[in-house]
Amino acid sequence: MTERSSIDDIIDVYKRDVDVSLIEANLKRSVEERLEMLMQFQAFIEGLRQAKRDSPA
Amino acid sequence: MSADFKALLRTLGEAGLEFIVVGGVAAGIHGAARATFDLDVVYRRSSDNIERLVLALTPYHPYLRGAPPGLPFRWDAATVQRGLNFTLTTDLGALDLLGEITGGGGYDALLPSTEVVHAFGLACRLLNLDQLIAVKRAAGRPKDFEAIAELEIIHNRRKT
Repeated sequence: MTERSSIDDIIDVYKRDVDVSLIEANLKRSVEERLEMLMQFQAFIEGLRQAKRDSPA
Repeated sequence: MSADFKALLRTLGEAGLEFIVVGGVAAGIHGAARATFDLDVVYRRSSDNIERLVLALTPYHPYLRGAPPGLPFRWDAATVQRGLNFTLTTDLGALDLLGEITGGGGYDALLPSTEVVHAFGLACRLLNLDQLIAVKRAAGRPKDFEAIAELEIIHNRRKT
């Protein structure tokens, strides 16, 4: 059995915060749908960034 | 600007380029629910493939991402031959062209650890989940820890 490193322990800490329901929902999607979701989220974030740039200081 | 992953994959695929999708888009295809803003691909460093790469991207004005405008950057085969990894902006969005990746090597070394998926009428080769986790672990970047955690959860779900 491979000996665990501190990196394994760190990744386990991160696993506690992973929203498994999002993964489950994504796994039900087709590959095309997953790619479309990536692009939609990216466009959403870009829209927020643009709104921040356009807003008065 | 947002990256049009569909158009980027179509451009590379229709050019007959030998490439492997890695990074965040590969993670997303495997089921990860994380945002990514660029397409990372490992390309085969043969002369023919580099020629195909240059021809495919030329219409989309590749330029060094983050570099000041006006540098004498030429997108041609000589530039790609003499370089290795390129982080680019294109008219289709951000594209990272990688000759090699940490913990995985180049195209030929990675090829046995890939799978082919079909999307948008294209066959698209990507790093398999085991190898994607391995290269992210090898990179050792703290920013990847959350992504590794998610990929390992997906991996464990596939096993059950």
